[in-house]
Amino acid sequence: MSVNEKFGAMRNGLLEFIVLQIIAVEKVYAADILKQLGSTEFATQEGTLYPLLSKMRREGLLDYEWKESEAGPPRKYYELTAKGREQLQATLEYWNKINATVKQLAQKQNAEAL
Amino acid sequence: MNKVITINLGGNAYQLEEGGYDALRVYLETAATRLAGNPDQEEILLDIEWAIAEKFRGLLGNHKNVVANREVSAVLAAMGPIEAEPGKAENPATSANPSGSRPSGSGSGPSGTAGTAGQGPSGSGGATPKRLYRIPENAMIAGVCNGMAAYLQIDPTLVRLAFVLLTCLWGSGLAIYVVLAMVVPEARSPEEKAAATGAPSTAQEFIRRAREGYYEAIKGFPDRRARRAWQRRFKREMRVNAYQWRSQWQHYWAEHATRHPGVWVALPLISLLQGAFTLIWICALVSLLATGDVLGVALPVNVPVWVGTLLLLILYAVVAGPIKMARRACYWSLGHMKPGWSLWFLVDGVAGLVVMVALMGLAIHYCPVLREALHNLPEICHQATADVQSWWQTQGKEALTPHK
Repeated sequence: MSVNEKFGAMRNGLLEFIVLQIIAVEKVYAADILKQLGSTEFATQEGTLYPLLSKMRREGLLDYEWKESEAGPPRKYYELTAKGREQLQATLEYWNKINATVKQLAQKQNAEAL
Repeated sequence: MNKVITINLGGNAYQLEEGGYDALRVYLETAATRLAGNPDQEEILLDIEWAIAEKFRGLLGNHKNVVANREVSAVLAAMGPIEAEPGKAENPATSANPSGSRPSGSGSGPSGTAGTAGQGPSGSGGATPKRLYRIPENAMIAGVCNGMAAYLQIDPTLVRLAFVLLTCLWGSGLAIYVVLAMVVPEARSPEEKAAATGAPSTAQEFIRRAREGYYEAIKGFPDRRARRAWQRRFKREMRVNAYQWRSQWQHYWAEHATRHPGVWVALPLISLLQGAFTLIWICALVSLLATGDVLGVALPVNVPVWVGTLLLLILYAVVAGPIKMARRACYWSLGHMKPGWSLWFLVDGVAGLVVMVALMGLAIHYCPVLREALHNLPEICHQATADVQSWWQTQGKEALTPHK
């Protein structure tokens, strides 16, 4: 497994977390999410996002409502449920913990290198 | 100049060039297969259709009504491949036959012979099996073939081959297997295991069979692994062959069949013909197994019963094959059906299976001849293997004598 592949696996694991975070800010529809992700390392395609959204909805993390669009089919606007917020909060805390650990270890290494 | 195809995506009509339409269809079909088993399959597919529709709309304007091939390709590339379950490893649909879902069938046997399980005169090979069980030890799927082999006192490989042949040639092996896997109870307690093989212990039975050289006949391979590998390759090749052959036929019929009104008359007639032939054939088989003659006509003196049975099986394949083919042809010519799966096939298959099972149940219950035939079956199979074995041995001796 090359380094790139490992990064890919990490990104895949974090995608759900990132999507939760985006939806937490405001009600969005799928194309919005993709646009926001597009400028980051988490650039994603519909083929991945739609199955993920439906899985998250099945797990009760998010819900959607239909809104008419000016032209064409109505759109699904996603929002977090209480459970989704809870999970986001828990994940954030865990993420910070991991982050702190990584930083700590890196500092130690730097100190030893000196 | 390109042909244009109008499609409906999310309630709006879009016009695509033909190549683009094909590409879109393939994309959506692939998506549907990848999402097979996902409870939200339909919803996701709809989401995807609508997302594609939005992208198409962005491409079209007042003076542009048709989405070009290359634009469709670009949109599909932007959509990306469908990932069945993001964040997880591949999970292929393996819900078919997990060993966890076994219907507990202890003591549900209606037959009256279950009482005298396995304490027969053992060792000499005369012990008759009393009940059909599934045997999970060394099983490949659910132990059906294993159990049948023990019941009929033959090598399980032969039974497996028979199922593979049934599946490849007539497509019925799989259905029978699934039904048996659900209906036949699994041998779990030592008593049940003894009753399954008809011997007091499987170890003794194994030694006896090893002594008689049952396995030698088909072995011929250096070790078990090599034999297994060969079996697997054989199965795979048979499957591929059957598939190719069938799809060739299907294409032929799909192209050449016309929507003739006579089909509506021919189809029931052919079905009736097939049913009648099958019924007569079953009667002949049962009478052969039970009494040793075919519907009153005795076999020639030096032809053993198992050879007659084999001939009957071949006869059935030869006669029923073309009838079945004709019936399929009727289905295809009923129009709007692409070769392959269709609802008609499903209805036909399920109805046929239900009728078969119902008839079998009734027959076993009310027809003593059939019971007798089933009772004779182990003995006949045993004789068949014994005959083949002795023939094999004489062949071996003849091959050896010139050298001496």
